[in-house]
Amino acid sequence: MNTPLDLRHLNAFLDSELSLSEQLEMETRLEQDAALRSEVAGLQGLRSTVRQQADYHAAPAALRDRIAALAGAPPVSTAAPTPQRRFALRPAGLALGLVLAALLTWGIVPRWWQATHDDRLMQQAIASHVRATLGQRLVDVASSDRHTVKPWLSARLDFSPPVHDLQAQGVVFLGGRVDYLDERPVAVLVYKQKEHVIDAFIWPTQEAESPMRASSQRGFNARHWTHAGMSYWLVSDLNQDELAVVAFSLEHQDAGDTAR
Amino acid sequence: MRNSGFTTEPCCKAGPGNKTRPSSVSTGMKGISVADDDNRQRFIAIALPHLDAAYNLARWLTRNDHDAEDVVQEACMKAMRHFSGFRGDVVRPWLLQIVRHTCYSWLKENRPAEVVSFDDSADAWPEHAAPAADEPHAVAQRKADRALINQAIAGLPIAYREVLVLRELEDLSYRDIARIADIPIGTVMSRLARARGLMQQALQPGARPVLRTVARHAPHTSVRGEKQ
Repeated sequence: MNTPLDLRHLNAFLDSELSLSEQLEMETRLEQDAALRSEVAGLQGLRSTVRQQADYHAAPAALRDRIAALAGAPPVSTAAPTPQRRFALRPAGLALGLVLAALLTWGIVPRWWQATHDDRLMQQAIASHVRATLGQRLVDVASSDRHTVKPWLSARLDFSPPVHDLQAQGVVFLGGRVDYLDERPVAVLVYKQKEHVIDAFIWPTQEAESPMRASSQRGFNARHWTHAGMSYWLVSDLNQDELAVVAFSLEHQDAGDTAR
Repeated sequence: MRNSGFTTEPCCKAGPGNKTRPSSVSTGMKGISVADDDNRQRFIAIALPHLDAAYNLARWLTRNDHDAEDVVQEACMKAMRHFSGFRGDVVRPWLLQIVRHTCYSWLKENRPAEVVSFDDSADAWPEHAAPAADEPHAVAQRKADRALINQAIAGLPIAYREVLVLRELEDLSYRDIARIADIPIGTVMSRLARARGLMQQALQPGARPVLRTVARHAPHTSVRGEKQ
């Protein structure tokens, strides 16, 4: 029974790599042959032991940063997941799958995922905001004329962000820059109100329309919404109320744009 | 069957300059001047998410953190240079193929003893580990020590180790493994069966000395193994 050919097939059976007819044939043989069954059980045990206990070596953050830098991107390691256990046992996996399906149906996972995703984006946005203010490199194109800024941004991105100057609201439009967020290049519109810099990050998204949400972290306030296929993140050290005014006028202008 | 899936195959075959360079890796910016910005952006978006898989394979093949980093970096540079030629639908096997090839080149230069050309027929199941008849579940039910498992994998000959890692830790299909390791699917099947047989042997109580290559290149794993 234990000829190499059988073992190969036994392993392929275990890995669901046999053709359907072979797979069924093997199942029939297993029903009749206790020795074969115990062999499969042994292999299954080994398999789950290896999958659960063998080290999965995730790439070190430094290496990830180095390669991203070689490819011309800013460090991305903060957002890098470090998967330890990617798989579970088949039956356990099935059960997990059912539970996940249930959670997905009830929308719990999407909401939870969205929350952590937003959290991460906000951290990235704040980091970019702080880097820009620290480095005195607020804008790449300094102009209060949106007809200068918009083409400048469009030429450097694979999309054309809506650009508004908000002068009527008493907000100074400083210009724009390009940054890297959510694993893609994004447009940043830079405004100033009473010495507070406001960064508006804009990029295309697949996400559905979502109303404005406020959040804050480490003293920075943020406003986030999605409209017409664009994701918006406003970040500033301006207080939440005044930031809301700026955010609403920006949103209003945009809505006007798309309605027109 | 061989070399079927990827149109950029030649990039791994004739890695420029890796014949003359011993252990150092070309990390300078020169190499990527060829790749245009668009390529690099695409690389970041599409290939970089598979960096963990790349590193995991390199780490298991070289059995050493530092060497794995060097190899992965070099492999990524190669991949970036040839990314415009990538036409396949799945990036992970493509990237892993380059990583694997880079690993082998690196090992040939630095530890030639580990990659002596492997003859599957010569290793013809000399002592297949028929599990002790009374205790078929011995391996499964044993509370296997994590370090012991790692040690057992690290102790496998490289040809078996790579198929096992690709199958169990990356969950790749036989087809993908065949492409990555550049062997027919039939060979994937027999190597995997053999790899598992050797693992069962190694994990049987009191059978540890079977794997003798462990201590030589992976001393850090052998220390922890003594705990239990």
